[in-house]
Amino acid sequence: MSIISELTKALPKNSVISGEENTRPFECDGLSVYKQNPLAVVLPTNIDQIKKVLKICKKNNTPVVTRGAGTGLSGGALPLKDSIVLGLSKLTRILSIDPEGQTAIVEPGVRNIAISEAVEEYGLYYAPDPSSQIACTIGGNVAENSGGVHCLKYGLTVQNIEAVKILTIDGKELLFSRQDEGLGLLALMTGSEGLLGVISEVTVKLTKKPQLAKVIMAGFPSVRECANTVSNIIKMGVIPAGLEMMDKFAIEASEAFAKPGYPLDAEALLLCELDGSDDQVSEDLIKVLEVFSEATSVRVSKNEDERLLFWKGRKSAFPAVGRLSPDYYCMDGTIPKRYLAEVLEKISNLSKKYNLRVANVFHAGDGNLHPLILYDAGQLGELEKAEDFGNDILKICVDMGGSITGEHGVGIEKLDAMCHQYNTAELNVFHQIKAAFDPFSLLNPGKAVPTLHRCAELGNMHVHHGNLPHPELERF
Amino acid sequence: MNSIAEIQQKVRNTNQLRITNYEKDCEDELLNMSSYSGVVEYFPEELVITLKAGTTIDEVNKVLSKNNQALAFFSVNSEKTIGSLFATSGAEFSDSVLGVQIINGKGELLNFGGQVMKNVAGYDVSRLLVGSMGRLAIITQISLKILPTKVAMQFQQRPSIKNKESSLRLEIEAKLKKVFDPYGVFI
Repeated sequence: MSIISELTKALPKNSVISGEENTRPFECDGLSVYKQNPLAVVLPTNIDQIKKVLKICKKNNTPVVTRGAGTGLSGGALPLKDSIVLGLSKLTRILSIDPEGQTAIVEPGVRNIAISEAVEEYGLYYAPDPSSQIACTIGGNVAENSGGVHCLKYGLTVQNIEAVKILTIDGKELLFSRQDEGLGLLALMTGSEGLLGVISEVTVKLTKKPQLAKVIMAGFPSVRECANTVSNIIKMGVIPAGLEMMDKFAIEASEAFAKPGYPLDAEALLLCELDGSDDQVSEDLIKVLEVFSEATSVRVSKNEDERLLFWKGRKSAFPAVGRLSPDYYCMDGTIPKRYLAEVLEKISNLSKKYNLRVANVFHAGDGNLHPLILYDAGQLGELEKAEDFGNDILKICVDMGGSITGEHGVGIEKLDAMCHQYNTAELNVFHQIKAAFDPFSLLNPGKAVPTLHRCAELGNMHVHHGNLPHPELERF
Repeated sequence: MNSIAEIQQKVRNTNQLRITNYEKDCEDELLNMSSYSGVVEYFPEELVITLKAGTTIDEVNKVLSKNNQALAFFSVNSEKTIGSLFATSGAEFSDSVLGVQIINGKGELLNFGGQVMKNVAGYDVSRLLVGSMGRLAIITQISLKILPTKVAMQFQQRPSIKNKESSLRLEIEAKLKKVFDPYGVFI
């Protein structure tokens, strides 16, 4: 019996999708330059069905690619030719809400925003807010350790979950909680990109809605002055709820698209959100306005509508830039904030070298850059050029003491860049952790961690703290 | 122990080693990390501090308070070293961890995470090792997120009640020990 008929037999009607036409909607995730049809897509509606799927896949030695809403930007949910896609978008129940304890237990297919909507009546919300929050699922958020614009103050997914239930490839259920004694297995699961287990239930932490939130929008005459202001805000002892920066190109694109009233004469824009009690916000506001003395224009949101309008421009920056080019490639490197201006200059030089335009949008508060490289996939060689440009940016991030990915994950996209960030011994640790959970490598194989062979082929000599591997060897 | 090379040498030349932060009477070969101490790097505007494992909480607090900053977790005993807190704590501590430098059971020096707030490249080994009781690797250096004192008071979490270990969990922990310490050096 083929695996498709085995799955069809084990699951309720219409749970298994097969055939090239039918599986096409699942051929890619948010990184649509890579496409692949899987053997089949299964859409279970409860945990018992997931267990059955895993059991059948294990028996047939068939890889499993777990998928939430498919909004990921690194190809983490890209199907493999011989794999099953395990779609969890039908597990959408909110199982319980504990307003006193400020937690909620939800199934993995619950959308990020749906959690906040469900707990709104208690004055609570779920803090991490990736841009895709209206569509992305909490299971996917845990798998990627998703961020958003409020991480500096409220943390990433890892700091905002209380527990996860996972299913191992053997279909065994494990519960990892913040209250556990021993190793940090909850943190290990968070951001493991579907390689260690299938997330089957999540207990999220809920945050009290602040009494007041205000956004200060400021235009700056240069990127450098804007970047320095970011550090100065932190030096004043203020932790903004959000601190976002955009360059001129991104400002113009967003203004044309969303009309939030951004200053078109500015070289760089800063959006700084302050939240908390009325007193706290007023106190912080005075400090921030003092730091904004170099700004060419400053506006403070007068009401909730205006606050949301200021954010609308930033939140629609990607589609706004997307209108100006047939294709764009979004990067996700992180750097220590003190190098912001320097890195932006380097990116601008690379833009000239590759002759590709780039718009810069980033979470300045935590040094997470999102350069958008504009290219035209219709032109021969331009995608490759954009990817080379992107890889150069990631190398700069690593060399500055940062990381190749702050919140989008490695997936299939950044495997080569991983060779630059980690040495052989470190990559070996990752491979062995994978083997400890999934010895036959059936869960999302080939993603997130490059094979040592791949890194060797790239000839990507890893240089860590200025130390070359095998210094005894002569080099030419 | 004053240098990484010395510690690596000791790991390679010893069959079994117990990592500690104080002198005590016992049969086992001890690796006292308390003298491997000090602030490696501190960037107040980055909200990041990197410490050698033997640095005491008192020392850290002294340095941070000059800039009105503080650790974002609660420590009952400030004479403890950051390394011992790392080894014995849970999620309330690991929420602040950004990166570690470790020496594994083979004597290899490895780095995971870093000095940035956001880093999802590779498994989160730096937070995985929180609570590892010195049985997986020697933690030599730790990078932590810090906060302005006023904000830290708001976010400081106390350690909470611990769950009992399940057999399946112990099985996984045993496998992970082998990843870091295949020869069983750390006891």
